[in-house]
Amino acid sequence: MDEIRRVTVLLLGAPFTRRARRDLRFCAVGAITGVPGFTVIAVTLVLALAFSASVIGAIVGLLLAAAAVGIACRLGAAHRRALWRATGERVSAPAPPQAGRGEPRRLVRQLIGRLRDPDGWRSVEYAALKLPVAVAEGYAVAATVIGLVDCAYPLAWVAFGNRPVGSNMKPLKVLFPVDHGQHWVVKTWPGALTTALLGAVCVLVGVWLARVMTLLDAWLIRSLLGPSRVSELERTRAIAVEDAAWALRRVERDLHDGAQVRLAAVTLNLGMAREKADNDALRELLDAAQAQVRGALADLRRIAGGIHPPVLDAGLADALASVATACPIPVRIRADLPERPSPAIETMAYFCTAELLANAIKHSSARMIEIKIDSERMHALRIRVADDGVGGAAAHRGSGLEGLAKRVSTVDGTLRVASPPGGPTLVTVELPMRIRGGGT
Amino acid sequence: MRVVIAEDAAVLREGLTRLLADHGHDVCAAVTDAEALRAAVSAQRPDVVIADIRMPPTHTDEGLRAALAIRCGFPATGVLLFSQYIETRYVARLLESGTGGVGYLLKERVGDVADFVSALERVAAGGTALDPEVISQLLHRPDPGLASLTLREREVLALMAEGRSNSGIADELVLSEGTVEKHIASTFMKLSLEPEPGGNRRVLAVLRYLRE
Repeated sequence: MDEIRRVTVLLLGAPFTRRARRDLRFCAVGAITGVPGFTVIAVTLVLALAFSASVIGAIVGLLLAAAAVGIACRLGAAHRRALWRATGERVSAPAPPQAGRGEPRRLVRQLIGRLRDPDGWRSVEYAALKLPVAVAEGYAVAATVIGLVDCAYPLAWVAFGNRPVGSNMKPLKVLFPVDHGQHWVVKTWPGALTTALLGAVCVLVGVWLARVMTLLDAWLIRSLLGPSRVSELERTRAIAVEDAAWALRRVERDLHDGAQVRLAAVTLNLGMAREKADNDALRELLDAAQAQVRGALADLRRIAGGIHPPVLDAGLADALASVATACPIPVRIRADLPERPSPAIETMAYFCTAELLANAIKHSSARMIEIKIDSERMHALRIRVADDGVGGAAAHRGSGLEGLAKRVSTVDGTLRVASPPGGPTLVTVELPMRIRGGGT
Repeated sequence: MRVVIAEDAAVLREGLTRLLADHGHDVCAAVTDAEALRAAVSAQRPDVVIADIRMPPTHTDEGLRAALAIRCGFPATGVLLFSQYIETRYVARLLESGTGGVGYLLKERVGDVADFVSALERVAAGGTALDPEVISQLLHRPDPGLASLTLREREVLALMAEGRSNSGIADELVLSEGTVEKHIASTFMKLSLEPEPGGNRRVLAVLRYLRE
């Protein structure tokens, strides 16, 4: 019994809640923006297709398509805002489109980025699906408004009868949200009451429809206008990778500013103590201590260099040149990097190249190693390590090269090995300049 | 000898100041970053500067950049870079800045006080002082010339590259100066280097050879 009463109150009381007003407002905004929005986007896309029929028109077509995607993104932002105001649910915006790579002109780069942005096309998809939703939302609002007008008829009847006195207006018509082919006119007091009852039903229908449409639209916005699963994963991966690189740098810096400084101060004090030492036994002890501290400092230097070589701050080319100077095989480095990759990529590129270099020294019996670094093609960082050794290197299971390939693939990089038996060997590593989904 | 120290770790800054004062040198300023170092050098015109490579604000290579600027602006002031690690790239840039009046030592070298002070004096006098680590990294290079050197000749070459004089090398290896001269002549011949009289040009010749 209680249950039935509760449901009845819930059903009939819905129009009097704040939520109903918010749903209706959201539906009104959705209907007003959704229908024209879809029309504009659809017309632009159809025009784009039409223009693309000819070769010259294809350029205009691409521009129009990009414009359509742009409009869809803007509208998407408006819809996300509307949803936030109506329901308090915040759907975060997807990452901005990545500018096209390897294209010198900024405008063209942005155009390519726009056209290849999957999130942009999802906005277009939303705009298309939104059309029927927007119509339904508009209907919900219309039904509610009509219902409210109908509810006011008894008042009008009390005030004017079925028409204002002295006027020659037609009798009041019953408004109805469904076109049933007939016009009902209010002529009697019970008729006015019936109309009011009908209006109340219309309001109820409108309010509940508004609620359903709001929920449906919210789901659509969440799944099409928010970040996609892939872009969300890319974003969090970029955060994880950059965070790890940053943490390693901090460890290195802490070592440098902490333990290493303290140990250097110990050597200084031991040295001064030795100068003041007045017997050989004491001097011997101090020398032994000094040797231990030096050993500890050398260990720390090696560890710090394995975490983040300080010279990497001066750039990849300098850091690799430093590695090369300590190589027993002559290494020639040619670097052409107009811009620096992000720190995490730089660190990965450094350790990869150092490992490739070590591999070449260990296995190739080469007389000459050449490292080329550039970023021309497709705006990616490309590192080529070539040697004139015996060849036969392969990224088979369990090999060091396979490990490198795996490591590189964590940031969408690739590693290719060309190493026929008898040589020469060429290993090409390609890394993005920045991790996709990460900040700039 | 008037010295300016730039080192952001207080314990080392104070330790160095005390050590140099004990040896009768005048530390006229001890600062913590590159900006202050440049100001101190232009105000004090010291004989020599001891500069850490990594200093605030970016903790990368501001010490090196300040050193190069000082070598350029105040040729009479020698610069000794003082660091936790040896980067041969930095050595190269330092030596490209001109002849002499430069040094690059690991911080732990201060443990051998006499050696450290004499290296500092050498730099102040326009000579060169390079860390043995630099030389040992460079000596890894494969080279028929280097391979033909005897062990003793390699030792002499390393000390020469550090910036030591003939008598300094003789003391270190407990040899007579004449023997050292003979080793040097033979080394230069094997590496096809022109023997040059000035200590510093000798260092440069050796390093240029090692870096080729």
